[in-house]
Amino acid sequence: MKIDHSLPLEYSTEQNRLKILGFWIFLGAEIMLFATLFASYFVLVNGTGNGPSGAEIFEITPVLAETILLLTSSFTIGLAIHAMRLGNKKAMLVFFGITLVLGLAFLGVEIYEFVHYVHVGAGLQTSAFTAILLTTLGTHGAHVTFGLFWGLFILLQVKKNGLTPETTNKSFIFSLYWHFLDVVWIFIFSFVYLKGMM
Amino acid sequence: MMKELFPRKQVIGFIFSLVLTAVALLVYFMDMSFAVGMTILLVTAFIQAGLQLILFMHAGESEDKTTIYTSIYYGMAIAIITVLGTLLTLVWTYQFQ
Amino acid sequence: MEFFERFAVPHPSPAIYASMVAIGLTVIAIFAGLTYFKKWGFLWREWLTTVDHKRIGIMYLISAILMLFRGGADAIMMRAQLAAPENKLLDAQHYNEIFSTHGVVMILFMAMPFIIGLMNFVIPLQIGARDVAFPRLNALSFWLFFAGAMLFNISFVVGGSPDAGWTSYFPLAGNDFSQSVGTNYYMIAIQIAGLGTLMTGINFLATILKMRAPGMTLMKMPMFTWSAFIANIIIVFAFPVLTVALAMGTLDRLFGANFFTSNNGGMDMLWANLFWVWGHPEVYILILPAFGIYSEVISTFARRNLYGYKSMVGSMVIISVLSFVVWVHHFFTMGQGAFVNSIFSITTMAIAVPTGVKIFNWLFTLHKGKIVITTPMLYSLLFIPLFTIGGVTGVMLGMSAADYQYHNTMFLVAHFHMVIIPGVVFAMLAGLTYYWPKMFGFMLNERIGKWSAWTIGISTLVAFMPMFFSGLDGQARRMYTYSEASGFAIWNMISFIGAAGLAVGFALIVYNIYYSFRYASRDIGSDPWDARTLEWSTHTPVPEYNFAKIPQIDSVEPFWDQKKHGKKLFEGELEKIHMPNNSGIPFIMGILFFLWGFSFIFAMWIPVIIFTLAIFGCMAYQSFEKDHGRYIPLEEVEETENKLGGNR
Repeated sequence: MKIDHSLPLEYSTEQNRLKILGFWIFLGAEIMLFATLFASYFVLVNGTGNGPSGAEIFEITPVLAETILLLTSSFTIGLAIHAMRLGNKKAMLVFFGITLVLGLAFLGVEIYEFVHYVHVGAGLQTSAFTAILLTTLGTHGAHVTFGLFWGLFILLQVKKNGLTPETTNKSFIFSLYWHFLDVVWIFIFSFVYLKGMM
Repeated sequence: MMKELFPRKQVIGFIFSLVLTAVALLVYFMDMSFAVGMTILLVTAFIQAGLQLILFMHAGESEDKTTIYTSIYYGMAIAIITVLGTLLTLVWTYQFQ
Repeated sequence: MEFFERFAVPHPSPAIYASMVAIGLTVIAIFAGLTYFKKWGFLWREWLTTVDHKRIGIMYLISAILMLFRGGADAIMMRAQLAAPENKLLDAQHYNEIFSTHGVVMILFMAMPFIIGLMNFVIPLQIGARDVAFPRLNALSFWLFFAGAMLFNISFVVGGSPDAGWTSYFPLAGNDFSQSVGTNYYMIAIQIAGLGTLMTGINFLATILKMRAPGMTLMKMPMFTWSAFIANIIIVFAFPVLTVALAMGTLDRLFGANFFTSNNGGMDMLWANLFWVWGHPEVYILILPAFGIYSEVISTFARRNLYGYKSMVGSMVIISVLSFVVWVHHFFTMGQGAFVNSIFSITTMAIAVPTGVKIFNWLFTLHKGKIVITTPMLYSLLFIPLFTIGGVTGVMLGMSAADYQYHNTMFLVAHFHMVIIPGVVFAMLAGLTYYWPKMFGFMLNERIGKWSAWTIGISTLVAFMPMFFSGLDGQARRMYTYSEASGFAIWNMISFIGAAGLAVGFALIVYNIYYSFRYASRDIGSDPWDARTLEWSTHTPVPEYNFAKIPQIDSVEPFWDQKKHGKKLFEGELEKIHMPNNSGIPFIMGILFFLWGFSFIFAMWIPVIIFTLAIFGCMAYQSFEKDHGRYIPLEEVEETENKLGGNR
C-alpha cells in the first residue's frame, strides 16, 4: 500500500481517498432521502384528521436542548478531527468520546419527546401529520443511533490501533456523517418545529 | 496546548452557529408574519448548512473538491425541485384554484 | 397449523400448485446436482464469495435472463387471456397479479440487473481499472438485489402476489383493498433490491471519477462509461425517494399509519407523486446505458468514430437534470389543474430534444460509415426506427390536454413497450452478444443471432402496434377481459401472435447459447469485432487483474489508435498486483436480508428483530475486520500473461 505523507493521514492512500469521496456521494443521496421526507411532511402537515396539530404538541424546551446538544457535538467532533490531524490521540479520543456522550444525551431527550407525543395522543396511527412527524424525526433519530454504535466501534479501534491510515480514515468519514446529521437537524428544527410553533 | 486544540476558526464557527440558532428562535418569541418568519428560517438554516459544510466538513480541502461540491449542489438542487414541485402539485395548485 | 395458514395462497389455481411442485423439484435438483458433482466448494469459492466485478457482472446477467423468462411467462399469459373476448383462461384476480408482477419483474429485476450487469463487466475494463472502487460493496449490492428478486418471486406460491399494479397506487394498495400480503412483498422486496442499487450507484460514481487510467480525462471516456456515469448520478439521487415512499407504504400497511389512506388526513395522491419522482428518472437510468451500448456498437460496426461526442455528452448531462422535472406527466389526469400540467408538459417536450440529438448523432455516425451488419449492429439498426415510434407517441402523451384521451389506455401500454423494448431490451441483447466473446471466450452464432434479432424486431411491431389502435378506440389497460361488441378482439389477437413471436425469438437466443457453446470456435483472439475501446485490448479470457500494466490513454479510442497508428498503450515493467480478497459476508448478508424481508412481510416480529441484529452484527464484524487485500506475485502475473498469449 502506497502511503502519501504530504496529505493528512486519512487521505494518505488511494483507497482512503476513494472512501471519502464515496461517502460524500452517499451524503448526496442522504440529502434526497431527507428532502423526500420534508416534501411529504409539508404536504401532510395539515392532514391532522382528528389528531392534534404541531402547535398543540411541540414543546420548545426539549427541542432547544436537542439543538444545543447536537450543535455542540458537531463542534466537538470537529475538534476531534483537528486533534487527530495534530497527531494527538489522547485529545482526539476525549473529543470523540464527548461527541458520543452528547449524541447519547440527544437521543435521550428525543426518546422523552416521543414518549410525550404518544402520551398526548399523537401516535403513529393518529393522523397523517403525526405519522410523517414521527417518521421524519425517527429517521433522523435512527441515523443518530446508528452513528452512536458506529462511532463507538471506531473509538475502540483508535484506542487499540492508534492513529493509522485506516482508523483516521474511518474517524474522518464518521465526522462527515455526524456533521451531516447536524445539518439535517437544523432543517428539522427550523421547518418542523419553529415553523410549526410560529 | 489548549489553544492548539481549539482552533479559532472552529470556535468562531460554533459561536456563529449558536447565534444563528438564536436568530431563528426569534420567529418563536416574536410576532411576525408568515412570510417574514419563513424568510428568517430559510436564511438561517441555509447559512448554518453552509457553515457546517465548508468549515467543519472540510468540503473544499481535497483534490476532489469539484466533485464534492457538484454532488452536494446537485443534490440540493434536485431536493429543492422535488420539494417545491411536490408542494406545487399537491398543495398550492388547490389553493389557487 | 394456524401459524402456517398465513403462508397459503389466497387465490390458488392448478397452475400455481403446479408451479409450487416445479419450484420444489428445481431446488431439489440444484442441491442434488451440486452435491453429486461435488461443486459446493467451487460454487462458494469462485462465485458466492467473489468480489471480482466480472463475475458479479455475469451473475447479474444470469439473474436478468432468468427474470426475463419469468416476466415473459407473465406476458404470454396476459396476451393469451386477452386474445379472445370474454376469455376464461384467467380470472380477474390472477390477471391483476400477473400484470403487477410482470411490470415489477421486467423493470426492476430484469432491465436493472441487465444494465448493472453490463456496467459491472464492462466499465472497469473500459476505463483501464483493475476492479471497482469498493469491490466488497459491489458484491453486497448484487446479493441484496438477488435477495430482493427472489423474495418477490416466491410471492405467488407463498402468501399471494402483489395485485395493485407495478405502480401500486394507494388507496388500492392499502390494507382495505389489498388484503393479502402481496403488496407487503412489493414494499419489502423492492426496498431490499433498491438499497443494493443505491450502493451500486455510489460505487460506480467513485469508480468512474477516481479510477480511470492515466490520461483518460472525462472527455476521453468511452460513451458507454459516460452513459453509465450519468445513469449512476440519477440512481444516487432518485433511489432515496423510492426508499422513503416504500417505507411510508410499509408503515401504512403493517403499522396502521395513515400516509396514503383516505381518512385521518392521509393523501393517496402523495404516493403517486413520490412514486413518479423516482419513477421517471428510473426510466432514464434504464435508457441511458442502453444508449451507451448503441453508441459503442454503432461506432464499432460503422467502422468510424462516434459522430458528435460532445453533443452526446451534453445531451446526457441535460437529461440528468430534466429527468427530475417531468414526473407529473405520469398523472396529468389527477386533478392538479391546467397550470401545473402545462409546466410539466413543457418540460416533457423539452426532454425529447436531447434524445432527438442522440438519434441524429447515430444516424450521422452511420452516414459515410462502412457498415458491417453483425447481430449487435442489427439490433441497433432495428432500434432506431422502432424506438422513434415509441418516442413520438411519448410526445403525444406528453401533451397534457391530449393525454386525457390516452391516459390509462392500451395506447400508453403500446408507447412504453415501444420505448423499453427497442430502447432497453434490444440494447441489452446487442450488448450481451457484443460482449459475449469477452466474457466466455467464444462467439454466439451470427446466423441464429440474426434470425432471433429479426424475429424479435418484427414481433415487437406485431405485438405492440395494434395496441395503439385499440387504445385510441378506448381499450383500457389492466382490464382482464372485454366484450365482443367492443371490436377489440382483432387487435388483441394480432398482439397475441406478436407476443408468441417474441417468445420464439427469445427461445432462439437460448438455443443460440446452447448451439454456440457446443460448436463455436474457441480460437477467436481478444478482439473478434475489430473494436475501438480499451476493453478489447486485454486478453480473453480476461485475467482477474484485467490489465497487467495500466494503459496510458491519450484519445477517445486508444485501442484503435494502437492498432492503426501504432501508439503504445502499455508501457513499463510488470509488477506484483494488489487485489482485494474474497469475502463471504456479502452473501451471508444477502441471505439475512432475505429472511429479514420474509419475516417482515408476514409481520413475524421476533425473527425480524433477530435478523436485524444479525445484519448489524455482520456490519460490526466488517468494521473490526482487518483486510488489506493480497498481492499477486510477479511470477504468477508473468505466467498468466504468457499463457494468455504474450505480455501486453
